[in-house]
Amino acid sequence: MNKKVAIEAKEVTKLFGTFEALKGITADIYEGEVVVVLGPSGSGKSTFIRTINGLEEHNSGTIKVNGTELNNNVKNIEKIRSEVGMVFQQFNLFPHLSVLRNITLAPQKVKKLPKSEAEDLAMSLLERVGIPEQAKKFPSQLSGGQQQRVAIARALAMQPKIMLFDEPTSALDPEMIKEVLDVMTELARSGMTMICVTHEMGFAKEVADRFLFFDEGLIVESGTPEHFFENPQEDRTKLFLSQIL
Amino acid sequence: MRIVIWIKENLLGSKIDILMTLISAYFIYFIASLFLNFVFTTDWTLIQVNRKILLVGLFPEEQLWRIWTVFSIFSILISATIGYLYKLKLRNSIFYILILIIPFLIFTTMNLLVNVLIILFFSIISYSVFYYLKEKKLKITSRILLLSWLIFLPTLFFILILFGGPKVTLWGGFFVNLILAVIAILAGFPLGVFLALGRASSYQVIKLVSIIFIETFRGAPLIAWLFFAWFVLPNFLPNLFSLNDINLVIRAMIVLSLFSSAYIAEVIRGGLQSIPKGQKEAATALGLNSIQELLFIVLPQALRVVIPAIVSTFIAIFKDTSLVFILGITDLLRIGRLIPEQQQEFYGKSIETLLVVALLFWVVSIVLSQVSRSIEERLNVSK
Ligand SMILES: Nc1ncnc2c1ncn2[C@@H]1O[C@H](COP(=O)(O)OP(=O)(O)OP(=O)(O)O)[C@@H](O)[C@H]1O
Ligand SMILES: [Mg+2]
Repeated sequence: MNKKVAIEAKEVTKLFGTFEALKGITADIYEGEVVVVLGPSGSGKSTFIRTINGLEEHNSGTIKVNGTELNNNVKNIEKIRSEVGMVFQQFNLFPHLSVLRNITLAPQKVKKLPKSEAEDLAMSLLERVGIPEQAKKFPSQLSGGQQQRVAIARALAMQPKIMLFDEPTSALDPEMIKEVLDVMTELARSGMTMICVTHEMGFAKEVADRFLFFDEGLIVESGTPEHFFENPQEDRTKLFLSQIL
Repeated sequence: MRIVIWIKENLLGSKIDILMTLISAYFIYFIASLFLNFVFTTDWTLIQVNRKILLVGLFPEEQLWRIWTVFSIFSILISATIGYLYKLKLRNSIFYILILIIPFLIFTTMNLLVNVLIILFFSIISYSVFYYLKEKKLKITSRILLLSWLIFLPTLFFILILFGGPKVTLWGGFFVNLILAVIAILAGFPLGVFLALGRASSYQVIKLVSIIFIETFRGAPLIAWLFFAWFVLPNFLPNLFSLNDINLVIRAMIVLSLFSSAYIAEVIRGGLQSIPKGQKEAATALGLNSIQELLFIVLPQALRVVIPAIVSTFIAIFKDTSLVFILGITDLLRIGRLIPEQQQEFYGKSIETLLVVALLFWVVSIVLSQVSRSIEERLNVSK
């Protein structure tokens, strides 16, 4: 396939104090690609995707997003954040704002979209994630699955080119996981570039173009889902897959 | 017959319940009868005679319109703000209004009551107008309100002092307590917000300055600061900006404002810390800059969390204003002590005056705390 690189990470390291959470991550993510990140707890999955939009500052190596390098230049960081949306495990909706306002806030304040336009956009996104009737409610009045769908709509409202998901279904009751995965599947099919940290293997198998397997701050193995399920090479990958499958 | 059932269940449930009920009932009866007996057998003419002094001290009679004007503007502004922020329950509002007006009945002259009713009327109108404007979602409403509060302080001084207003040394009575509290709160609150943000700031210099300021003022009791303002300041500082000639009432205002800002800052800091890290991360990931993050995400949530604590601080400040007698200011409490000492016909009648003094302080405090409770309930709904 002839594809443009969306995210280019080279030898990225991250230290917490003296602890090395990332020990040199090199990976290219292509436009339109859906990448699932796997690995045991503490292996650096969250840290890696959080360095991509600068929530964590990396200590060495380079990260480029659509050609813009992530460094101390505020302009660059702003540009990258406007192109990268993020969905968190704990939803992190703003509890004091209505669902609609949660979605319209950033477009209005950051992109200076007029209120009516922002609201139209928000409604169409709520439509897309299947809960337009919840617009006037507050986050605490929604179920976990609905909250996470609002969080996805909120991220999409900034019209990002790349979406990062950090275990978006881990905090959900089992019966709500599917509604969130459905939204993510639809998003993947629409051509969005996505990096998902998830343990939902059914979803991963279905939509992922590529897996990255993390262990102790390094990418130990990467490849297509078929490769992973049928023919994993590394012992650590085999061990991990045997535990979660 | 809910009451009968309630009584049966809660007061007469078991033998112990019955015993407790009887003991408490006797106790309440004992206290209440003492109190009522005193209230109804006492000659209250001393309050009647000293009505004006208790309320406004030596403020000249023909200048009283200034106080009335300030008072009216204040209550109209407060009502507008409440109308903009909350939908009051009718039952609650009647309770607040009654409890605020009852002490006025003690001081009733027809004039006074008519004035109060007129102000009440305009306040209700302004409440309704702003409630309506909020429903209309007019953006300008909040700006008008904010602006009005900003110009309220200078306006207040303007009305009270300029164009032949009485000397500040003549200010006294309950008026002084109220105005000191209002100023300490209006000036102390924004300053407190800035100090709290400063203390949480990542700029080390700002952080250090905020910490030093806060800890200095919290480190000594208010009384000490008042003494400082009176005795030490003039000898300590060169006569910068003719600071030494500043009237004691103004000095009390400054000390109270600074003192309360330090306490408010600490309360708000607690609120800031209670906001989960994920909130800031979500805002950052959406591309909000740090000021937008603060204004739209962190501060609104932090302030909500600390409303009850802030109102408690307000109440404490209000009651602390009675300490300004140290500066020789004849506030309500001071006057309550002076009347039985200095007026021969009422010699030694301290209980009567002090009861009225207590009632006035109590009424304002109770309404403040009730308002904070209903705000809290309202906020829990949208949580
Ligand atoms: N803010 C931090 N301060 C110190 N150590 C941290 C911090 N964040 C992460 N770490 C450490 O870095 C390592 C990688 O953490 P990370 O959250 O990236 O793991 P993860 O792969 O996402 O694990 P999980 O599946 O449990 O979410 C862990 O050992 C963790 O303890
Ligand atoms: Mg993680």
